[in-house]
Amino acid sequence: MVTRLYLSNDTSARAAGAAALAEAWSDRADVQLIRTSSRGAFYLEPMVERDGPDGRIAWFNVSPQDLPAILSGTGGTAVHTIPFLAQQVRYTFANFGETEPLSLDEYQARGGLSGLEAAFRLTPDAIIEELRVSQLRGRGGAAFPVWNKWKVAQQAKGAQKYVVANSDEGDAGTYCDRMILEGDSFRLLEGMLICARAIGAGRGYVYCRQEYPAASATLRAAIHKADEAELLELNGEPFPIEVIEGAGSYVCGEETALLESLEGKRGVVRARPPYPAQSGLYGCPTIVSNVLTFATIPQILSRGGSWHASLGTEQSRGTIVLQLGGRVKHPGLVEVPFGLSLHQVLEQFGGGMAPGSRFKAVQVGGPLGSLFPTTGLELPICYDAFAKAGAVLGHGGIVVYDHETDMVDLARHFMAFTADESCGKCTPCRIGSVRGREILERIQAGSGTMDDLRLLDDLGETMKLASLCALGGRAPYPVLTAIEHFPAEFRSKLRA
Amino acid sequence: MHEQVKNILNQVRGEPPNILQSLLALQGELGHVSADMVPVIAKSLGVTTAEVAGVLSYYPDLRPSAPGRHVIRVCMGESCYANGCGRVLRELQERLRADIHETMPGGRFTLDTMSCAGNCAVSPTVIIDDDLYGRVLPSQLDGMLERYR
Repeated sequence: MVTRLYLSNDTSARAAGAAALAEAWSDRADVQLIRTSSRGAFYLEPMVERDGPDGRIAWFNVSPQDLPAILSGTGGTAVHTIPFLAQQVRYTFANFGETEPLSLDEYQARGGLSGLEAAFRLTPDAIIEELRVSQLRGRGGAAFPVWNKWKVAQQAKGAQKYVVANSDEGDAGTYCDRMILEGDSFRLLEGMLICARAIGAGRGYVYCRQEYPAASATLRAAIHKADEAELLELNGEPFPIEVIEGAGSYVCGEETALLESLEGKRGVVRARPPYPAQSGLYGCPTIVSNVLTFATIPQILSRGGSWHASLGTEQSRGTIVLQLGGRVKHPGLVEVPFGLSLHQVLEQFGGGMAPGSRFKAVQVGGPLGSLFPTTGLELPICYDAFAKAGAVLGHGGIVVYDHETDMVDLARHFMAFTADESCGKCTPCRIGSVRGREILERIQAGSGTMDDLRLLDDLGETMKLASLCALGGRAPYPVLTAIEHFPAEFRSKLRA
Repeated sequence: MHEQVKNILNQVRGEPPNILQSLLALQGELGHVSADMVPVIAKSLGVTTAEVAGVLSYYPDLRPSAPGRHVIRVCMGESCYANGCGRVLRELQERLRADIHETMPGGRFTLDTMSCAGNCAVSPTVIIDDDLYGRVLPSQLDGMLERYR
């Protein structure tokens, strides 16, 4: 008898051991291995599943010698009873762990392409109206209302218009775009097609970071399949979508630097306005949106904008995709409506701290995100509350630091990152980040003074106000919040 | 060299010419893009040498010289930082007797860092050539390096 087993083919699942399992079981005649996307419960990976009477049954942290138990059906857990997953509200990530990433049939059987079909029944204006009703804001970090951007691009004149998916997921601590590209690429393509129909675009690009080789390979295969199924067409005209790879520059995740890089130039930030929706790739109207944003759009069309607006909080509608990392017990992907507090997310989903670790701080929103100490955890996760606290949600990365973290070294790490990644166009970021790093190195070496802390504060304010883009503008936040919440650590290193 | 460079560039030629994609194609075939290729590339693409040199020096992944036989990249992202990538990097520096961006004596390994591999939930991350390792402990490094001669 052949037993069908499900095993994720996601990069992180493979790194956790799925690759070794697949290799160990490759010559077993009694096992049919289906390689799916990952459910995102990475602390349980490698996770092996099989069909049960009441949905899938899973075995956690599996090693090759666990196969007899799995085949005899002993010791498994029903997937729908895993609290980490059962407490989530999954829409964009509903298929994860269930389907084979490149099966268009499975994608369609689970509601895929119904958003595009709905879009074909609507006029471009009606599509944009649906997005206005949905109150969807861009998920890449800037949180700009999506409909507004589309309206501008729709009304802009140009010989050509472009749709560009930003898949330069450079914020450390985030991986949801990678999971979408590796696990549900058709959803991204569907969202891009809907956008193209709304604004009248003739060509699409996905700018994918070089660090994601499996993502770009899967996406290319998905584009090929979609093309074979004659999906990459609008109004009887072909709508080609091409994958272009980057070359390791963080700032190319900023939309104008991304466009420069897509054109093959140095990834240097452009001054805005004009915004890309008016004048983007090769000077043509261009929508640049994050992968997660595009992947959210199909269901807004199929379920209706008011469905999306019914989820979340006043200024933050829909679901947020959080990615837990660092010293939490349960690192993984969490999709929930906006509004839970940081504390709830870390306890309910993060499962508390990793064994042997005590909480020190949590950083939300990538390497440019603010740090929160124990006293800051009641903050609800939504755009308005974070903005009020002078923080950002960014792309939803949440990294927890434990008691062993040296805050001075961490602050130096942040400034060194910005100094490395600054594109060099504006002075506050180019020079400010280097000076900031030098000051922190001085403090770390024990020769800093109180004046240096004041200087950092002053420098930070200048960078916040005068930088051209969010890299320089946000870079001071993690450093200044580290000093604000852990002043004793900085003072103890100063020269007497 | 000139003919080989031109042949590779012809395979990715587009209008307008894309300098970055051209350099990535060259590196894919030749392993690196050295400064002495710049005038040839510029002439072939119909752009200035400054434009080519500018792109070449801008992107961290473009290599002006040949790397070692194997390239190790240690992820320095925040989740990896919280999970001890600093210790992993120090151990590698000691074992390889190479600093960041350096190739060890004998040319077996080049040591590099990267800002995030997107493997944050299974961190810390080390990538050797095309193989990605997660939850890396310093004690595992010897066994990992053994696989690459």
